[in-house]
Amino acid sequence: MRVLTNPRNQLRLFSLVLILVARWVVAAEKNPQFVQVTIRSILAENKSDEYDPKLKGMEQQLKPLKYRSYRLLKAEDQTVPSQGSRSFEIPGGRSLTVAPQDFQNNRIALKVRLTERDKPVIDTTVAIPNKGNFILGGPPHEGGVLVLSISATAQ
Amino acid sequence: MRDCESIRESIGRWLDGELDTAESEAISAHLASCGECKKAQRQLETMQQTLKTTLLTEAQKVEFLPFWRGVQVRLARKTAWYEHPLARARETFTLSRAAWLVPASIAVVLAVLSLESYIPGWREGRNSFANVESIDAYGRNVALLRENESKTTVIWLYEDQEGENESADESAKSAPAF
Repeated sequence: MRVLTNPRNQLRLFSLVLILVARWVVAAEKNPQFVQVTIRSILAENKSDEYDPKLKGMEQQLKPLKYRSYRLLKAEDQTVPSQGSRSFEIPGGRSLTVAPQDFQNNRIALKVRLTERDKPVIDTTVAIPNKGNFILGGPPHEGGVLVLSISATAQ
Repeated sequence: MRDCESIRESIGRWLDGELDTAESEAISAHLASCGECKKAQRQLETMQQTLKTTLLTEAQKVEFLPFWRGVQVRLARKTAWYEHPLARARETFTLSRAAWLVPASIAVVLAVLSLESYIPGWREGRNSFANVESIDAYGRNVALLRENESKTTVIWLYEDQEGENESADESAKSAPAF
């Protein structure tokens, strides 16, 4: 191991190790194996001023929607393979299919399809920050409207 | 009155003492009253402290004796005037400096890449909106809202007042509820 007593060789070795670690870190960030997807189905209406305590933490996100009442109807978590897709049952005979498309710059691109009685309602692709979410709303439901919070976390 | 985003962009230079008195005082006053910017300042301080500690630790491992011997030899040597530019170039681009440049650059890149793990959410202030890349609503109306305060992106489906779906609920008929 005499070669390692030379400071230049030590530096070269140090550089090599750092390069390998850097490659590992970048590769780990680029290729999550799974994405944990959480869908929260919320009923928004104007019949009362009730705010469901289960929706604590979402007040600011729901504030722009201008409804008076918000109630969590259903929350569902699924782990989706990065190259696969999963379907979530949504109240009102609807279904939401989520398929991760890409992971870049700490953002997860999700292809989302909402169907109602097997008829497509919307197809969209949205890149959300890892551990972030977006809102998909508007379909009428039980005298109000359905608001879906779609969040994703790379694993 | 400067907004939070421009303040956060200046925090780094403020911590390094690169700002003039007026700018520095404006940032100090803003940080005293803004919790989010104060949080960003603490995160940046933590990052700088971590980098400083790491660099100091690594610097202690370096053997300066061979380098110092080289300096002494160069000082003792008498050179002709025309040799100075070449000597200066050689001193600037020595192998040992170049060797340090590589790990130092990698360490900085690694630190930036790893910040999200150590300081969750540090990047959120810059770009935490969801980006809608494509939408096909099969003939329905769609409104898109990006709300700055909560960094929320909303895709809203709605039907016209005189829409096709007469049985739809009133709340869904009216255009976006925001």
